[in-house]
Amino acid sequence: MIKRVGPPLAVLVVGLALVELYVRARGTPIYLVPRPSQVLDTLIAERGYLASALWTTAKAGLIGFALSALLGMAIAVGLASSVWVRRAFAPYTIFFQTVPIIAIAPMLSIWLSPGLKAVAACAFIVSVFPVIANTLAGLLATDAALLDLFRLYGASRTATMFRLRLPAALPSVFTGLQVAAGLAVIGTVVAEFLVGELGEEQGLGVVIVSASHNGHSDRVFAAVLLASALGLAMLGAVGFARRAVLANWHAPARE
Amino acid sequence: MRWIGSAALVLLVACGGKKDDGPAPGAPPDAKKLTLTLDWVPEPEFGGFYQARESGAFGKQGLDVTIKARGQGDTWKLVAQGQTDFATTAADQVLIARDRGADVVAVFAVYQTSPQAIMVHAARGFTKIDDVFTHTGVLEAEDVTWLRFLRKKFPDAQVKVTANAPGIATFLANGELSKQCFITSEPIQARARDSDPATFLIAEAGYNPYTTVVIARGEMVRNDPATIKKLVAAMREGWRAYLDDPGPMNAKMGELNREMDAKTFAESARLQHPLIETEETKKTSLGAMTKERWQTLGQQLVDLAVIKQPPTMDCFATF
Repeated sequence: MIKRVGPPLAVLVVGLALVELYVRARGTPIYLVPRPSQVLDTLIAERGYLASALWTTAKAGLIGFALSALLGMAIAVGLASSVWVRRAFAPYTIFFQTVPIIAIAPMLSIWLSPGLKAVAACAFIVSVFPVIANTLAGLLATDAALLDLFRLYGASRTATMFRLRLPAALPSVFTGLQVAAGLAVIGTVVAEFLVGELGEEQGLGVVIVSASHNGHSDRVFAAVLLASALGLAMLGAVGFARRAVLANWHAPARE
Repeated sequence: MRWIGSAALVLLVACGGKKDDGPAPGAPPDAKKLTLTLDWVPEPEFGGFYQARESGAFGKQGLDVTIKARGQGDTWKLVAQGQTDFATTAADQVLIARDRGADVVAVFAVYQTSPQAIMVHAARGFTKIDDVFTHTGVLEAEDVTWLRFLRKKFPDAQVKVTANAPGIATFLANGELSKQCFITSEPIQARARDSDPATFLIAEAGYNPYTTVVIARGEMVRNDPATIKKLVAAMREGWRAYLDDPGPMNAKMGELNREMDAKTFAESARLQHPLIETEETKKTSLGAMTKERWQTLGQQLVDLAVIKQPPTMDCFATF
């Protein structure tokens, strides 16, 4: 445990100490770069306020991510089922990757009502494409010899998909999920800027904008840190699931 | 693809002369070069500044002022860091900036009455700003000082407050939705799309910071008051001329801001006039500021815990 956590933790502590020294030595105004020690103070002093914002963001991010995981995999299975389906629909999945969230957030807010639903929908849109793309790539890269074997035994298409192609695609699926986990958090925070709820149910995105409007750069950085921590936690959870699922048969998962 | 390259080249050449703005009309060759950064895009809100530049009012004072429209963000940080000489912002931002240690000073206040307002659908029959808060529905607003003021004033609010979505589409689509606005902007757009907005000024609820306030570095105000005096005189002249006849400058700003049509420019200029020229400014002068107003604002911000202590009265200077 110490071997794994030690190095990044040391980098963090040394890095923050350097920033602290530099900012103090140069006398950089607080409104430009707050000192790490101030950000820490803010994190402690406002823990209740920040924790509730973190929870709101986490809820929306997790809903968005869960939708991405489920629908993304379902869409990829659909696309992988026939070359014609793939030709007809695959180009449109790129829409999810390219759509500017700032343009569609107001529409989502109209359709779904502002707040949690619209925010989670944004998180889904931002994070679903990597799940589709990676799952599809995995489904299309099944070992030809194994496919022949299934054919030889007269396995149905459904059986081939769920007994062979999908399990074999799992390493790619998890790669997609890892990318999606980070994107879901970014999508949530940005969506909160645009259509998030203010007040008791406000997320980190709203806290960042409010604090920035009111000149509290320490609070801005504290909220940004929490958003990063949320992203890391979600990535970590996906990584854990990956190891648990793949550990027994897929070499790179054992690292 | 080649035509894009050619078009870009033509554009570059065409804009070449304008890139550094050239000397201000009427400015002597040894004019003092200064920059004014606006906190939004060219709109009637800034008409007097463009007027002062184009009519040569700045030049007459020996000043060559470049106007930059920035759009969004904290302009006071640019002033404090010396990236621009002057900028526009709102009075509450001036006090926040000073509270955070930035030495910026207000020297000219365009809006005596803040144009900040909430627009609602007239069909809801609201008669005062209280109704926005005491009824259910949605209010789209940024979490800035005036919202904090109103939420403190109406603690038992029924309305659900959400972030201010870009554009007015959400307002048009939802009959139960109210939205923050400048009465000189969004309500005009909404009316043009056959909506029925009614507006309530935040100022009428008791929170009225000077808005579109020109700020300078405190160091410049203290060491070179002569230049600030000239700047303020030219701005006053520019605003006088713009208020009397906004047409020509609206056309000029229309070239810089394609999002706003000529009709909206004219309507906006008409609506803002009484917010800029008031009984008070008729007695004193355009852009005037009083100690009482700054003290009131300072106390309100202290009460809202936005700033720590009441501001010192060198937060503004009159010329």
